[in-house]
Amino acid sequence: MKVIAGVDVGSQTTKAVISDETGKIIGRAQVATKIDLGGAAEKAVAEACRNAGIERSALAYVAATGYGRFQVEFRDLQITEMTCHAYGAHSVFPKTRSVLDIGAQNSRAMGVEANGRVRKFRMNDKCAAGAGRFMERVAKALEVELDQIGALSLKATDPTPISSICAVLAESEVINQVTEGKKVEDIICGAHYSITDRIIALLRQVGGEEEITLTGGVTKNMGMVKTLEDRLAKKVNVGPDAEFMGAIGAALLGLRRLQRVSAAAA
Amino acid sequence: MKTQPDMKFEERIAWCKEQLEDPTLPTLREFKGRNGTRAPIVGNFPVWAPQEIAHAAGALPVTIAGGGSSVEIDHADSRVQSFVCSISRSTLELGLRGYLDPIDAMVFTSICDVARNLGGVFKRNFPKIQTFYLHCPQNVASPAAVDYFATELRRFRRAMEDFIGDGITDAAIARSVGVFNEHRSALADLYTLRREHPEKISATESYLLLRASQLMPREEHTAILRSTFAELEARPTRRRDKIRVLIEGSFCEQPPWELIESMEDAGCYIVDDDFLLGPRWYDTPVKLGEDPIRSMAEAYVRYSVTSSIRHYGDRPRADHFAHKLKANQVDGVIFCAAKFCEPALYDYVLLKDIADQAGIPHLSFEFEEKMGVFETLRTQVETFVESILLFAD
Repeated sequence: MKVIAGVDVGSQTTKAVISDETGKIIGRAQVATKIDLGGAAEKAVAEACRNAGIERSALAYVAATGYGRFQVEFRDLQITEMTCHAYGAHSVFPKTRSVLDIGAQNSRAMGVEANGRVRKFRMNDKCAAGAGRFMERVAKALEVELDQIGALSLKATDPTPISSICAVLAESEVINQVTEGKKVEDIICGAHYSITDRIIALLRQVGGEEEITLTGGVTKNMGMVKTLEDRLAKKVNVGPDAEFMGAIGAALLGLRRLQRVSAAAA
Repeated sequence: MKTQPDMKFEERIAWCKEQLEDPTLPTLREFKGRNGTRAPIVGNFPVWAPQEIAHAAGALPVTIAGGGSSVEIDHADSRVQSFVCSISRSTLELGLRGYLDPIDAMVFTSICDVARNLGGVFKRNFPKIQTFYLHCPQNVASPAAVDYFATELRRFRRAMEDFIGDGITDAAIARSVGVFNEHRSALADLYTLRREHPEKISATESYLLLRASQLMPREEHTAILRSTFAELEARPTRRRDKIRVLIEGSFCEQPPWELIESMEDAGCYIVDDDFLLGPRWYDTPVKLGEDPIRSMAEAYVRYSVTSSIRHYGDRPRADHFAHKLKANQVDGVIFCAAKFCEPALYDYVLLKDIADQAGIPHLSFEFEEKMGVFETLRTQVETFVESILLFAD
């Protein structure tokens, strides 16, 4: 049986999944990226192989994505994040026509064709604004653990949006709101609305057709998902593997490529 | 200090990069400083020049292919309009900054209006540099083309003789033709290696080697290439799943090497290209007859490689391009032309149709010498690669 690895080297975490030749995900792993991007990829793939119960040497093909994809020396192919997230989202939610990927450093909106191919995409163009790193800065300024901000945001009663699009300046704005006596949950929820508005602007630029699927690390933040659904006034798809969607897309595209090469050789 | 022949492959590539990024032309200054060297340096503006004749005159023939990204265009903008190619402005800038001081003469040929006029600008601005202008035949299908060009080459030979103050013998020209045949043969082997084993040497590395050839004695460069092949054979490599790509349109002004690297990073094995075409002007050796000047004229008219600046008789540009697509088994074509390069941009119209007819996808963009951000371009190329590898019908 041929097995394929997809590895997504993100700025914060590196995700790897193993697919069998039917496209079923049989293993996964996630490690912190840190400074050695290639090392993180190797570690994630090795752990995903163990999780799948296969030998590392059994991999027939490795597809890499994420901003560190060029550092994955053992890759057969690198694929852009847009293509991988779109294809991953399409594989889990086949009626997906728009994908929002909100990662630590970047946010992207993709319009997707019926076969999972990217039709159009837009990325945030101003530093880390509109991305997970923005929320990290806010959480840090408020001395709140990152994994608590989602739950806190859901308790907000009077959210106050942050006007600055710069993550660094946003931190100052958060401190100002604290000095004005604003509640922590309202500030966090306001920050979510700020990000959401920018991401929705990206989504509109690619058409914003339904169904909309959310991918990337920020999907773990339920406060963020709720503000997004509030602003869009509709439900969005969020799968349990949303954080792994780039790696899943890479693995399935790797499988697709392997099948094409095998068919051409036969 | 290590000399070129002593260097390992990676060191040599790093050395080539250093030379390319230093607009003061250190190899030419070093050549001039060699003990006992009184040989003049005869430069030429791309694409092609009869370097064999300059070589036979005892000169070091070199190609001055612009200033790249490391020279600020300052003085040249006061003499040349901004809507011409970067290479014409940066080559002039090199002269105005004094970086061309080691050059004794410059040759320009009739490749385009800009090159033609640049020859005149050089003549006016640099009285210490002897300027030659060569009228290459535009209609090589004419029965008179060989006679015409032999006459023109003889005129150039006489001008070179006046310049060096000595005669140039037929035997010396024949010997020089042999030297350049050897060099072209070694370059052809380099390209064959890349076509057959693109994982052994990248297009960026091959390009850096090619550029270095034009700033050093050709005999030395041939020896370097030959020793490089043995090293590359033993190079540990891993073949990736990439598309095979042909680059077309960069025959005169040269793209930044980072641009070539970006295309390769994006998933391309560049298996053939027209980078710096002059040193690879013939794909067969120049056949020597009794009169070497006539042999050179025949070679130019009968078997120059096809390109946007050499017009055709029995080797139509479109047919040759179609042949190149097939022979290189390419999956895609990238038309990579310099901004404002009329010959390349006109040819794009013809060649994209040939690619379409062959069912080969293509991508087109324009570059400038001083472009510094390659991220957008890399994303474009990656998207192109993905469309072929993953979604092509």
